[in-house]
Amino acid sequence: MKSRNAMIYKIPLPAFLAAMFFVATLVMPGCRKEDNYIFDVNSISAEPQGISKDFVKSDHQYISILYANLFQKALSANDLVEIIDLIESVGDKETIHEVIISSFMNAPDKIIPTDQEMRDDLDKFVLDTYKRFLVRNPTQAEITWFKNFIEANPKVSPELVYMAFALSDEYIVY
Amino acid sequence: MKRRSFLKKVGVAAAGAVAAPYFLPSGRLFARTGTAMVDHVVYVLFAGGLRQQESILQRYLDDSQGISVQGNVLYNMLEGPAPQQKVLYGTNGQLPGDSPIPMLLGSTIQKQGTTFAEVNSQVVGHYSGLNALITGNYLYTQGLRQKPLIPTIFEYARKHLGLPATKVWFVGNGIGNSTPLLNHSLDENYGVDYAANFMAPTVTFGVNGMQHLSNAKVYHPEEELDPMYKMKFFLDQTAAIKAAELPGVKNTDAEKHDLKQFMREMFDKTAAGTIAHPPVADNGDMRNIGYACEVLQWFKPTLTVVNMSAIDGCHGNFTGYLRSMHRADHGVAHLWNYIQTQIPSMAGNTAMVIIPECGRNAVPNPILDENDLASYDHSDANARRVFGQMLGPGIPSDLMIGSETSPVGEVADGVLTVAELLGFKPEMQSAGYVLGNAQSWFDRI
Repeated sequence: MKSRNAMIYKIPLPAFLAAMFFVATLVMPGCRKEDNYIFDVNSISAEPQGISKDFVKSDHQYISILYANLFQKALSANDLVEIIDLIESVGDKETIHEVIISSFMNAPDKIIPTDQEMRDDLDKFVLDTYKRFLVRNPTQAEITWFKNFIEANPKVSPELVYMAFALSDEYIVY
Repeated sequence: MKRRSFLKKVGVAAAGAVAAPYFLPSGRLFARTGTAMVDHVVYVLFAGGLRQQESILQRYLDDSQGISVQGNVLYNMLEGPAPQQKVLYGTNGQLPGDSPIPMLLGSTIQKQGTTFAEVNSQVVGHYSGLNALITGNYLYTQGLRQKPLIPTIFEYARKHLGLPATKVWFVGNGIGNSTPLLNHSLDENYGVDYAANFMAPTVTFGVNGMQHLSNAKVYHPEEELDPMYKMKFFLDQTAAIKAAELPGVKNTDAEKHDLKQFMREMFDKTAAGTIAHPPVADNGDMRNIGYACEVLQWFKPTLTVVNMSAIDGCHGNFTGYLRSMHRADHGVAHLWNYIQTQIPSMAGNTAMVIIPECGRNAVPNPILDENDLASYDHSDANARRVFGQMLGPGIPSDLMIGSETSPVGEVADGVLTVAELLGFKPEMQSAGYVLGNAQSWFDRI
């Protein structure tokens, strides 16, 4: 036993270390257990945090989006072309937009909350309306203003609120 | 008081005394320098591509088709007997014996007013011609599908007379061929702030309008629109988006309400068949004239420009061209008659100016129509020849200026003539945009 140990210790240390390193590089990676990584995407809000809308919607975009907002479905291509022609036939674009919106409002299949639903939960109504039309969350100041205004004006209906949003400057840009 | 202080105060007081009277309630900075001859002007853009030969020269089929029949198709506008044979322009479309439209006016426009028999148009295209008629200059670099580059008659009228938008109208006969672009220019000194209200009523109140717009509610101005506008105002203030500017004329809230009421009324009258159309309204121009009458009745505009274009069918249908000419004459007569008999506040203080935007060729193209009549385009020297008329208070009656061999006047004269009638000719001239050799027709008489 003693003589065997003596043999081992006769190997020069650098050579021993080099040999160990060589063996380790060959053996250790093959023996290492693979880590189980799971790649994922963190949830983030896709809504704009501020108002940075710089481009005016074309008539096509405006009418298509308006129709989708009010009816929750797409406007047919034929109807879109006909309505665009009507917009072109009147010089005052704000007025013709108003007329088109009020015509949509008279349609029986529009999807719009009732007055009762609006007043039962004003916070939700204001939040939903901002998201529906302006694609963003309102600030607390905006929620408060609308809640106060609607509460103070019993004749303000969801239809009039929707109309104000559809005619707003922010709605005609993207 | 020190001398320097005294002089300073006197100077300020003098400047104030000079300037103060010119800050007028209408919003104009300075009082107009011209004197208005009338309170209202109706300016008729009498279609594009009207040959002198079939209109004022009354040669009917003789000059164009080699058929020896002459006569006057425009017998509300011009003196002269109608053709006695080969009447192609009537209402039943059966040859021979087609029924011409009876004369509407008791006396022709030629008898009632002044006619310029041979007027020069330096351009022979529709849009360039229309531009010349409403800007007073030939914009050779003006692109199609582009707003006029220099101010239009509408902008001069609104700016220098301090008129609201609903007192200045362009009643277009459609939305094609850049027509909707003509209600204001891109000029930075005038532009959209002084735009006219534009409407193409045969589109707005046509089949599509009835389907998509006639159902529109008219909201109560105080109970519904007022809170709605307050909410919109809040939204606009909080967003403060500079880019959010819709193109087009801006009416006040009161004007918008009036416009919506007018549209409601037009949908009702269209559905009931009670629009003030001419007795014969079997083409788009005549229906446009009918709606123009309604605009006049409702808004009593200071300036109304009415456009017609059916005559241009002459590119491929000479018979249709004759029919459209005959109807254009009928329409103009109806317009004048309606003002005089149905709008008391405009009767007796309205002038009308009528000019085609360009003439038509001397030589036909190869297209023959259903009656084997040759068709005509507008591109040669003959297309630079037109005539014009004006009538109303202060306008000489039964006066003919110029002739086929001695032309007098320019198409570009139209705006200066209208400006003189409404009293802003000096402002228009000093603005410096109108063609150098253009003149008011009153200056040419």
